[in-house]
Amino acid sequence: MYKVFDKKSWIVAIAAVTMVGCGQPAPDGKVNPNNVYDSGTIAGDTVSIDEGRYGDNSGRFNSSSDGFQSLYFGFDSYAITPEMQQMISRDAEVARGHGNAKIRIEGNCDEFGTDEYNYALGLKRAKAVKDALTAEGIPASRMELISYGESNPACTEQTDACFAQNRRVDLRLAR
Amino acid sequence: MRIVIWFFLSTFSLLAIDAKLTIETDVEQRAKVALLDGSALPEEAIFNLFVSDLKISGHFLVDGTYRTESFEGGTWDGALKSKEYLIKYRYVQSGGAKLDIRLLKASDGTEVFRKRYAINSVAKRPFLVHKAVSDINAVLNYPDISWINRYIVFSKYTAPRRSEIVVADYTFAYQKSVIRGGLNLFPKWADAKQQAFYYTSYTHGLPTLYKLNIYTGQRTKIARSQGMLVCSDVSRDGSRLLLTMAPTGQPDIYEYDLRSGQKRRLTTFSGIDVGAKYAEEEQSIVFVSNRLGYPNIFKKGIGSAAVKQAVYRGRNNNACDAFENKVIYASRESSSVFGANTFNIYLTSLDSPETRPLTTTGSNQFPRFSPDGNVVMYIKQRFGASSVGYVNLQSGATLLFPFEAHRLQSIDW
Repeated sequence: MYKVFDKKSWIVAIAAVTMVGCGQPAPDGKVNPNNVYDSGTIAGDTVSIDEGRYGDNSGRFNSSSDGFQSLYFGFDSYAITPEMQQMISRDAEVARGHGNAKIRIEGNCDEFGTDEYNYALGLKRAKAVKDALTAEGIPASRMELISYGESNPACTEQTDACFAQNRRVDLRLAR
Repeated sequence: MRIVIWFFLSTFSLLAIDAKLTIETDVEQRAKVALLDGSALPEEAIFNLFVSDLKISGHFLVDGTYRTESFEGGTWDGALKSKEYLIKYRYVQSGGAKLDIRLLKASDGTEVFRKRYAINSVAKRPFLVHKAVSDINAVLNYPDISWINRYIVFSKYTAPRRSEIVVADYTFAYQKSVIRGGLNLFPKWADAKQQAFYYTSYTHGLPTLYKLNIYTGQRTKIARSQGMLVCSDVSRDGSRLLLTMAPTGQPDIYEYDLRSGQKRRLTTFSGIDVGAKYAEEEQSIVFVSNRLGYPNIFKKGIGSAAVKQAVYRGRNNNACDAFENKVIYASRESSSVFGANTFNIYLTSLDSPETRPLTTTGSNQFPRFSPDGNVVMYIKQRFGASSVGYVNLQSGATLLFPFEAHRLQSIDW
């Protein structure tokens, strides 16, 4: 068998291994005055992606279109009231007039909510309208849902009347 | 002006004692430090960054007096002998940003630590200071505060159906847009290294979850759903996601295994279940639900059917975060339906009903734990101004930085 290390080599090796991990200067001792170029963890720049060509901020989408009427909800509510039922019936008539075209139902909220909850609230409003239209005989397969949460206000003034305009569901043909 | 506002907010927050917490760190155990600016062109902005970093660490009692002195050599100011350590620094802005630091023992001027930091982007200079302070903290063997080196990622609305996703340092002194235009929401860091984040894009129709590498721009499509789709949490190893999805129009919580591509539905309530966060060694989730008729915080074991109420105070608790058995949540506490409302952040435990307020004034929302669970971040709105706030749960130290957050959509740390 070959002798890989003699006794002296072992001592040197153990000392070297022991010193690994001792790079952190001792709190009370002098340190090597050599400067350390330490840009590794904070160097590099992040990408910047411009999607400005997508979407539409003209305001054309913050109300219903294609003959549909928007439906308005109470604060923190996704209940269909008897008053709303008449409008649902009218929207069902409009849907029937569009043959088998796909309908997009968009739920929206006022700004008095945070994070995900507001998006879920908008979705529940859209689903309530979908269920009501289904009860009116519109096939569920013709309808798709999307929640815009508080991202798509119809009105931006800080008034109760304005906030009420944002708690709504818009309908349009899916394109 | 920004500096003046910063001082006001910082001082105000400390005097107001916004957080009522048990202070676990003995004040006497904190190191008394003073700062000395040795830059050829001294500026207090760098000093302010040092002060905020040292303060929020909870490990230092920092002298708020701005002083200048030659970077090399000892110090001749006898008044500083009462300190334990002096931090000398020299900031140079030429061919990028460079920061030299020296940590000296105040008693005899012994150099304890010395290091140079450099970065190509001058805009990123706050990170030089954060890295220096986290290194000084480590040299003195204090518990890790490397969270101050991390990016914050947030989305904000810029117009109807338009948003921007921005990365920032924790003080928001550095901000850079990563995705501008379109409607891109709910950014969530994908891993501990912060190389990538998940976000929901509405740009091409139905909500689509993407993973974006912020350094290469590589974008990977993860999932698509009608209704809504949000990544609310990522497992520590990055292999599993908690999603709020609505494939049939019903918002529920799913766990998505990135390795197998399998989704598992975790909640089945007919109302609203959203915002799930991993808790208790990732064996359970904490989430927001309206199953009692109002938004509140609940807990559920992964793989278990039982759902347990986690918070017993407040009637409108619609946002939360979790770290192991600790839960923070935002509670709406004013009775007016509209207008300025009071929201406060509370800390509670999954093991006991004990609950403590972390804020007491203004509108405080978007509570988020630091990656080590020791610090809580939140967004405060008060007197028409917004700021990002921090509470160190161990030391009780608090900080506020001014931040235009009126249209903030979501934030992650």
